[in-house]
Amino acid sequence: MALIVIRGDTMVPLSLIITTASRRRMAAALAAMMFAPAAFAEEIVFKDQGNREVLLAKPAERVVSIVIPMASTVIALDGSTRKLIGMNPTAKSAVVEGILGKIFPEAKDIPSDVTAPNFVPNVEALTAANPDLVIQWGDRGADIVAPITNAGLTTMLILYGTEELTRDYMTMAAKAIGKPERIGELVEWRDRVQKDIEAKATAIPDDKKPNVLYLGRALSDISASGTKGNYNAWSIELAGGKNASAELNGTVSVNKEQIAAWNPDVIFLNAFEAKLNVDWVYNDPILSLTNAAKSKRVYKMPLGGYRWDPPSQESPLSWMWTANLLHPETFKYDLRTEMRTAYKTLYNYDLTDSDIDNILWLKEQGAAADYAQFEAK
Amino acid sequence: MATMTHEETAPAVRRVHLARQTLVFALLLALLVVAFTVSLCVGRFSVPAVRALELIWQGISDPSRELTGIDERIVLLVRAPRVVLAALAGAGLAISGAGLQGVFRNPLVSPDILGISQGAAFGGALAIMLGIWGFPLIAMVFLCGMAAVILVGLLSRINGRSETVTVILSGLVISSMFSAVVSLLQFIADPNTSLPAIVYWLMGSFATATWERTLVAAPGLILGSCFLWMLRFRLNILSLDEAEARSLGANTTRERWLVFCLIAVIVGSQVAVSGIIGWIGIVIPHAARLLVGHDHRALLPAAAVLGAGFMVCIDTLARTATAAEIPLGVITALVGAPIFAALLRHHYRERTGS
Repeated sequence: MALIVIRGDTMVPLSLIITTASRRRMAAALAAMMFAPAAFAEEIVFKDQGNREVLLAKPAERVVSIVIPMASTVIALDGSTRKLIGMNPTAKSAVVEGILGKIFPEAKDIPSDVTAPNFVPNVEALTAANPDLVIQWGDRGADIVAPITNAGLTTMLILYGTEELTRDYMTMAAKAIGKPERIGELVEWRDRVQKDIEAKATAIPDDKKPNVLYLGRALSDISASGTKGNYNAWSIELAGGKNASAELNGTVSVNKEQIAAWNPDVIFLNAFEAKLNVDWVYNDPILSLTNAAKSKRVYKMPLGGYRWDPPSQESPLSWMWTANLLHPETFKYDLRTEMRTAYKTLYNYDLTDSDIDNILWLKEQGAAADYAQFEAK
Repeated sequence: MATMTHEETAPAVRRVHLARQTLVFALLLALLVVAFTVSLCVGRFSVPAVRALELIWQGISDPSRELTGIDERIVLLVRAPRVVLAALAGAGLAISGAGLQGVFRNPLVSPDILGISQGAAFGGALAIMLGIWGFPLIAMVFLCGMAAVILVGLLSRINGRSETVTVILSGLVISSMFSAVVSLLQFIADPNTSLPAIVYWLMGSFATATWERTLVAAPGLILGSCFLWMLRFRLNILSLDEAEARSLGANTTRERWLVFCLIAVIVGSQVAVSGIIGWIGIVIPHAARLLVGHDHRALLPAAAVLGAGFMVCIDTLARTATAAEIPLGVITALVGAPIFAALLRHHYRERTGS
């Protein structure tokens, strides 16, 4: 039935009054009404750690991580390499050197020309990559952020240092890539392991806590860190150790005489320096006389889906490894089983025995004190 | 009363001058010995001074003795080579500065002017980037330092001769070029590993001193300095006006390059084992000149002893002041710049007589 309106003294069908243009507008409005709820549902808004509002019309499909550890985290959160389209060259070296390159061979082809290793973005390469989301540090000055935002790219700023910040930015990243369901399990795992370790560690009397030295660099100059804002110091204390270099302020160079004066009971070497291994300590005339070397408690941090020293999606494994080594009588995590479960969840990958041996450097440091617990049974 | 002629007063003046110089040298040497001893006795690891001295005596009297205790190793394997290396490097840098300032007849010149430090810095930064440590790194640093001097030589040589100004400008060019490449290396270096290492290395440190490293650097530092000392008369002539020097029979271009090469060997050896250390080569020769005058025969040894003592003191401060190692470049600049300013003012006052 056609609608009739009265115009003046004549009756005209409504269809004649509604012009073609207005009809188009109406159709658009109708469509908008029909689809708008879905569009609003897809829109993602959150405050990043730079206290800025990040708005994504839909889950980010193309993500660039200028910060180093987040590249592997994005892969883990998505369960694939599909969404990561650019990363820091140093993140890529971990992919190539570590097991991530084996699990996801295509990750080796993800470009790393979008940024210099020092986090200064190559804005043209970045823009050409056409990312939906760029992940950048929020505490290293506006100079490395402004070029990205000026190019009109959506940027998420994250901060480094504590477990709370790590959980928070991992949650943000999961939300941003439209995989919020993935994060719950991971955060719950972190929480469970942390609480379990804490509960057991509180029973350890102070005088039974070993002095632990973590060396962030060793080969050209030696660097150690104070406790404030340092993730390694935090994880050492979590696992019932004392940071041997607690008196330092920030991460600074130290000499071997200072290490001798601290005389650590345990030394952890970083996983960043590919050529560094425990012999560096054992062959040194001074360091070989520390308690750590004499009792064979020198260990290089493992390199898994990412290096185990900084916070990452694999941190709980790193804490369990540390706890088992610092207090083998208190902590008895079955690390190999835990690793298998974690890798299945994170990367949908079944670790082989030799994969685990390689990650834990069993060939290189299998003879270290208490390291036999990590051997395949 | 008849006045004394010039010929009669000269020996007396010379005698007084000689006595003064002997006294100055005796004092400088005594200060160096004190600096050495104190430096060997202090450190982050507590070793009582008496025990430290006893250990040093044992080390000297029976060098082949096996070292088992940690205090023995700290004193004899960490502090001793470090003190010796710091002394040799300080002496070498100071003597190089004194020599160069003579050759260029310019008191503001330092060994950096020939591009050696920047060339060597490039070699070091590249080695760290490529993950090369130990002796290959030292070799690379040394070779790049030498390459920089050769480039300066080639660039400044026009019609078979190189004028002082051309040498300085060529040094500036080569230095800037290497400095740019070092910046590029820093730009592409891994911020977690090689970048801090490069930055720290560029600020200079003796933290990695061992007897092996000392033995690697010592020949260049000692022989270079000795040969420079042997050229002391030549340096006196070269520090005269160009025409005057030529009239005295000096082949200024050839002799100048001989001095440059010796300095390249000295500075290259130093940078190879301890990174770039500024200010010593410019401040110490000035201080030495105040004490013993301009004559290179006295100036070179005075600068060497003073440089050695100063460097030992600075390094002791760097390794003991805090748990963190303070980069040497920071302290030499902080201490050197005010000293240099004071010396400049003193120099200016003397010249203007005000």
